[in-house]
Amino acid sequence: MRKALLIFLLCCLAPGLKAQPDTLRSAVISAVQGRGELLPGDTIPAGLLQRAVSVADAVRTFGGVQIRDYGGVGGLKTINVRSLGSEHTGVFLDGIRIDNTQNMQVDLGRYATDGLAGIRLYQGQKAGYLQSAKEYGNANALYLTSARPEKNGMTLRFRTGSFGTYAPALTVDRRFGSRISLRAQAEYTASDGRYPFHVSDSRTLPDGTHAGYDTVMTRQNGDLHSLRAALHLFGPGWHVQAWGYGSGRGLPGPVYKRAGTYPLSRDRQDDRNFFLQGEWTAGPIRLKGKLSHDALRFTDHSETNPDLAPAVFNYATDQAYLSAAGLLEPLPWWKISLAADLQATYMDADLRDFVYPFRLSGWLAAAQHVTAGPLQASASLLYEAHLDRFGTLGDSRFRDVLSPALILRYDPAAGWTFSAFAKRSWRLPSFNDLYYTNVGSANLRPEDAWQAGLDVSWSRTAGPWRFEAKAEGYVNRIRDKIIAVPTASQFRWSMYNIGDVRILGSDLRAVIRHEYISLDLRYTFQQARDHTAADKGQVPYIPIHSGSATLSGTWHGWTADLTIFATGERFTASSNLPMFRLVPWLTADADFGKRLPLKTGELTVRLSLRNLTGEQYEIVDRYPMPGRNVLLTLDYSF
Amino acid sequence: MKKIALLAFSMALAATVAGCHKDETTSKDRDLAGVNVAVGESSRYSKLFVLNEGAWQKNNATLDFFRIGDGNYVSDAFSQMNPTVTQGLGDTGNDLALHDGELWIVMNGSGMVHVVDAFDEELEASIAVPDPRYIAFDDDYAYVSSYAGAVYGGEPTKGKVYKIDVDSYQIIGSVEVGCQPEGLDIVDGNLYVANSGGYNPVHEKTVSVIDLDSFKVVGSVEVASNLKGLKADGLGSYWVSTYGEGRYDASWNYIQTEACSLHRVRSGKVTTVAGVHISCMDACDGNLWAIGNDRELEGGHVLTLYQVSHDLSVKKTEFGGTDLSRVNNPYGILVNPENGDLYIADASYTDAGKVHCFDKNLKHKWTATAGMLPAHMVLY
Repeated sequence: MRKALLIFLLCCLAPGLKAQPDTLRSAVISAVQGRGELLPGDTIPAGLLQRAVSVADAVRTFGGVQIRDYGGVGGLKTINVRSLGSEHTGVFLDGIRIDNTQNMQVDLGRYATDGLAGIRLYQGQKAGYLQSAKEYGNANALYLTSARPEKNGMTLRFRTGSFGTYAPALTVDRRFGSRISLRAQAEYTASDGRYPFHVSDSRTLPDGTHAGYDTVMTRQNGDLHSLRAALHLFGPGWHVQAWGYGSGRGLPGPVYKRAGTYPLSRDRQDDRNFFLQGEWTAGPIRLKGKLSHDALRFTDHSETNPDLAPAVFNYATDQAYLSAAGLLEPLPWWKISLAADLQATYMDADLRDFVYPFRLSGWLAAAQHVTAGPLQASASLLYEAHLDRFGTLGDSRFRDVLSPALILRYDPAAGWTFSAFAKRSWRLPSFNDLYYTNVGSANLRPEDAWQAGLDVSWSRTAGPWRFEAKAEGYVNRIRDKIIAVPTASQFRWSMYNIGDVRILGSDLRAVIRHEYISLDLRYTFQQARDHTAADKGQVPYIPIHSGSATLSGTWHGWTADLTIFATGERFTASSNLPMFRLVPWLTADADFGKRLPLKTGELTVRLSLRNLTGEQYEIVDRYPMPGRNVLLTLDYSF
Repeated sequence: MKKIALLAFSMALAATVAGCHKDETTSKDRDLAGVNVAVGESSRYSKLFVLNEGAWQKNNATLDFFRIGDGNYVSDAFSQMNPTVTQGLGDTGNDLALHDGELWIVMNGSGMVHVVDAFDEELEASIAVPDPRYIAFDDDYAYVSSYAGAVYGGEPTKGKVYKIDVDSYQIIGSVEVGCQPEGLDIVDGNLYVANSGGYNPVHEKTVSVIDLDSFKVVGSVEVASNLKGLKADGLGSYWVSTYGEGRYDASWNYIQTEACSLHRVRSGKVTTVAGVHISCMDACDGNLWAIGNDRELEGGHVLTLYQVSHDLSVKKTEFGGTDLSRVNNPYGILVNPENGDLYIADASYTDAGKVHCFDKNLKHKWTATAGMLPAHMVLY
């Protein structure tokens, strides 16, 4: 394996060394400024980006994804792409991965869409020319890209609506000369998180009559208070940002039967997240760096004895990251990307018997991009190595893996594109998997993900109309999936590499667009089978059928959007018995907006009506989602 | 008083089963759809009840029964007989006992003890008990061990035993015992309670002794660390099992340092039964049936049935190569005193479990698909 890596790297380096410096430089600059990447990935329409309250809200329309949503404003929201598991999706903010080493999940509810130029989802990886080594390391990647302010200005925004939600926000844009600009943003969100939901059941009795119950309860302890602030500085070829997020929230917990005198959950979570990151591009070289500090405080209240003092657990993770990437172009049709990243992570916790893990990680990536007429190809290889030191005696574990990927694109005729990719990638065990006291298992291997996909897209413009269609098919396999099971002692559970999931899926999309109206239809089929035993079926939480439809219209400053999401039946266990079944659900959201030009500046009013039919549904078992709810947004820019 | 949730309104979708008077000869559960898994037998028992614990915080505990007369296995009988009871049995069943024709079902997650008519599975009462674990009875009272709200990693918190009047279904007293008390049973007017201390850095080692006349703790017996099960043997002694002990070594490998062991206490004197590794047990006619992993200390996995007779001699039967090898994760055991049949609950942790029946020669008789984590069984 090592030898293969060495040969590949040499193969990449050798032609570059021979290239003439002058020609290399000019070629590289044109490449960087050119198309820059082989496949565009999947994007979100600008209108949706503007009206979404968070990244989690915006990415729901992507094909082939499941948003795991625990409900409410403060409920955890993560993305699971093509059933590989949310830990396999890298979430990148301006090209740098948002890491959560503690549990490998990024809460997309915490990231705002305002200030973003775009959100893109790449299956496999983004095949760009100047990307960091880490960008080759995920099964799929979600990119959030900040917009560069174009003029001096200020935006005041106020949101208010259901669940006692109000969220004032301020954005200030400043330009210093023609080359440097600044954007400062702050948003405060408060919500009591209370909403009614039904607990009901109905069954047919042996005598043919029906009986059941239908009780309305109110979701409690789901409040959220958060402050998010970001400062961006943009210059020629560089971008620096500081980001801070602080929140306090109740964890309402799952809904289950409790004796009347006891609350369901009084647990609380407080977060403090800070990072400083920057990127600098000069010709064929790009440098990136990030420093971050994430602190989490979990307060575990006794649910049955209000007199007891709560147990408080503190976790903190510090991380430093550096990346260097370069591009060589030995021949006009041949480009080579090289990248090396280094990262150090330390975690502190006041758990009993905690081991204070320190992880030193390195990534080396090389990619070759070849263009031959209508055919383009990109082959990459990533080597990553992680050394964990932990424990009082400084024990360590070393893990290293190779992730190869191949991406092909063929444009036979105008409007037609065929592409294919194959990739093997890995998801490292999280610190929780490895070191959580009493459950962790230090000898875990990374989860192994194999993917192969094929897609065809077609587009045509006819007068004012534009038609787009895309069909994707894929086969995935996850091996060594990390799962908690009992050990030799039935009374102690631990994490093991035992899961095996095989996925066969297809995402279909059709778009019809006109100047004033557009229709976007998506359908996903996914058969994701658990292969650990013969009697297993569809893996938990993945529907076989799901889809969405968005109808949008604009007219003289007015906008109207109607979005329907549908998810078929799901199961909470791999043996698909009726007792584990989650019912299908369908929700409809409507948004209306109006832009009002004022004497100075512009006012935008937007009304969002969510879950119009009041559908009672759960995305995560026992975590009821809100019924009908509204959100009013006032945006004043000047 | 932050209640479980605001009850805005509650509505029955339709009337319950017609006819509320009790038919003394035929149970109303006769119409429940079951799955035939065995040939019917005549017995002094009519049903084998199975409590499926359900997954933690999933509210999917269920009560099943096997009807001995026709060999049918009926799943989720409680919800079928009590369709208007909101959220069914509730969350995380932890113990099941029969007293005077009533099933007492201890729901740990829900903080409730349900009393159900064993004849037709109709709910008679639900009693709020904080963090209930196990139950034992004398003639007039039920005794329920309780963690009393303790939180893992929090301040060490003493557990309690609640005393419940079996006629009025009211809690009429409680007494503080050790931390995280588990199994309990009655021998000669004393209630013995196994303390685990499982939430503490250093586990408990003692059985608390409660005098039932005064309902006060009158002593304690040191047995072993991290106690779990406690069953009277009917001959003046009681059996105690443990959860075992383990720790991480310097390389963060988990090492089991003490087996899940079995002890017998007679007149305050503790005898450890050598070589028994116990995960679940049932006492019957002075003897004890237990199942465990015989190689737990070596990290292996050799499921073994231990038949411990009253003179403490042990007969071991490894599952491999016998009909018992059908069992994957033994999670509960019950012996039929009438014919020696052995019932083993087989849990899957993530999926529906099974219940297996073997005759007294350990030959397989039948297997039924149960609910989530079948664990506790009782014959009626």
